[in-house]
Amino acid sequence: MTSKTHHTEVVRATRSSRIAMTLCLALLLALIAMPWWASSGNIRWAIELSCYIAIAQMWNLLAGYAGLVSVGQQAFIGVSGYLLFVLAQNFGVNPFVAVLLSLIAPAILAVPTYLLLRRLDGPYFAIGTWVVAEAVRLATSNIDYVNAGAGLTLRVMTQYSQHEREVGFVLLCALLLLTTIGGSYWLLRSRIGLALTAMRDNPVAAASQGVNVGRLRFYIFIAAAVGTGFAGAIYYMAQLRITPSAGFDPFWGSMSIFIVMVGGIGAIEGVLIGALIYFLADRLFGEFGSAYLIVLGLLTLVIALYARGGVWGLLQKWGDHAWFPVRRKLIVEENP
Amino acid sequence: MQWLDAVIQGVLLGGMYAQYALGMALMFGVMRIVNIAHGDVMILLSLIAVSLAGVLPFGNLGLIVVIVPIAVVIGWILQKFILNKVVGADPLPSLIATFGLSIALQNFMLELWSADTRSLPNSDIASASFQIGSIYVGLLPVIVLITALVLTGGLDAVLRFSRFGRGLRAAAADTEAAAMTGVDPKRIYAIATAIAVGILGLAAVFAALRATVSPSDGSAQLIYAFEAVIIGGMGSVWGAFLGAMVLGVAQAIGLRIDPGLGILFGHLVFLAVLATRPEGIMARKK
Repeated sequence: MTSKTHHTEVVRATRSSRIAMTLCLALLLALIAMPWWASSGNIRWAIELSCYIAIAQMWNLLAGYAGLVSVGQQAFIGVSGYLLFVLAQNFGVNPFVAVLLSLIAPAILAVPTYLLLRRLDGPYFAIGTWVVAEAVRLATSNIDYVNAGAGLTLRVMTQYSQHEREVGFVLLCALLLLTTIGGSYWLLRSRIGLALTAMRDNPVAAASQGVNVGRLRFYIFIAAAVGTGFAGAIYYMAQLRITPSAGFDPFWGSMSIFIVMVGGIGAIEGVLIGALIYFLADRLFGEFGSAYLIVLGLLTLVIALYARGGVWGLLQKWGDHAWFPVRRKLIVEENP
Repeated sequence: MQWLDAVIQGVLLGGMYAQYALGMALMFGVMRIVNIAHGDVMILLSLIAVSLAGVLPFGNLGLIVVIVPIAVVIGWILQKFILNKVVGADPLPSLIATFGLSIALQNFMLELWSADTRSLPNSDIASASFQIGSIYVGLLPVIVLITALVLTGGLDAVLRFSRFGRGLRAAAADTEAAAMTGVDPKRIYAIATAIAVGILGLAAVFAALRATVSPSDGSAQLIYAFEAVIIGGMGSVWGAFLGAMVLGVAQAIGLRIDPGLGILFGHLVFLAVLATRPEGIMARKK
């Protein structure tokens, strides 16, 4: 009996992923260099788009992998935004540092929120998150320390020149994208990623294979809250103003749902496509107000009914060209 | 006396919330679906009622006779074209579909009726009140509460004793096993949604009589209905009724403490119930 030796190799990168990775790094560098080549208006757009991408990807992680549908992520946007304003304005903390410190607020809020709401069944969990967001919004509107319903203004930003501010913002945005998109990609390729994917496909089966579904959901909920809060803090810092009705606006939830569902749930590629579509649609048709929102709502409805994979799901029917592949491909070569 | 008054007003307010909550409890019980557009459908019916009141010379009772069939038809359309396609173990499709519908519906109403608040023309019932001791009680809120009581009792009786009720309880327990014994789940679902939205039609007329409505009010009504169902305990119509009373009283007491705290108090009581008695105050022992 002759024994053959085999050379085995696990391949994780594909040609499309190498191209995408190079492109992502190039875009990230271009983003960081923006203060030296782009207009202030374009930088503002880049900040906004980065925040949309980050918030949507966090929702994608929740709904697309952990099976936790939330319509109350605005709670985390608002609390981190408010903590940032208070730290920078009332305690004199450097605002760019305060952005990072403010992440403690969504983390702290996420723990009791999850522990309370995990008792609710799927769809009821979603509305439960909305109640929490509304409760936090109403509580904020009743606290005189943060100016109640009138909101806060970030006057300390005037100590920086416009150029300094822009450099600070693009660096924060680069960090935001690295942690939310890069972090998700890293997570999905790791051991935890296997558990998450198993959980997405069937939580009961995943649990029987040794995945601690409850604990994993808890961690993902906190991580998503922090990522969402990070984007929220940057967004309202750029706005220079926050009010309870803006910071805790349910529209943040609608926006993430729209981006993820249209782009394609359960894929980072989907979030990028969806965010770009939403950003362009908002620029082109935003002026039509409610007519535009009717179309957005109906589009979400139609996708939920007929094309649950969104645009990325449709694209994948023409061939597997993942930008962010998370699969492992085993290649076995027989040695002669 | 002031607090007794708050409790009475709260119970009366709870009558309104019970009418929102009954349909939600019914639909969740049988299909495991929460229709996020629940409140928006109610507001749509209210606005239709307000617009019809200007044209039809029926009075308020006649309005109910017209609106409830419209509501049943809307429920049927909702079931046939949306909910039947998303019923399943995964909660995501039904949530996303009805969420999209909710946004579309809200903005459609905004286009058609503008953001103004509207109400039904003031009638004798809406302004009549009577006095018990030193507390004034409005006649309309009492009618709303009695209607809610009758609806809850009626729905409970239908679920307990009718053929449809048995089919519904069977389908809720195990859809496939129920189908094997000759229950048609699609038919049960359709009737459940028609009843749920039909009740909303009644609630819509009362809401427009009692106070004002505007296109963006739907989400708040959805949240109140949801809180009532969870406080009371899932899977029981009397639970939804009791939960609505608790929610109404919590809001009324909060409102007495500070006008900005009414709704927040409702949310806090909901969260407190979730923390201490997550199965709800009326839940059946498992």
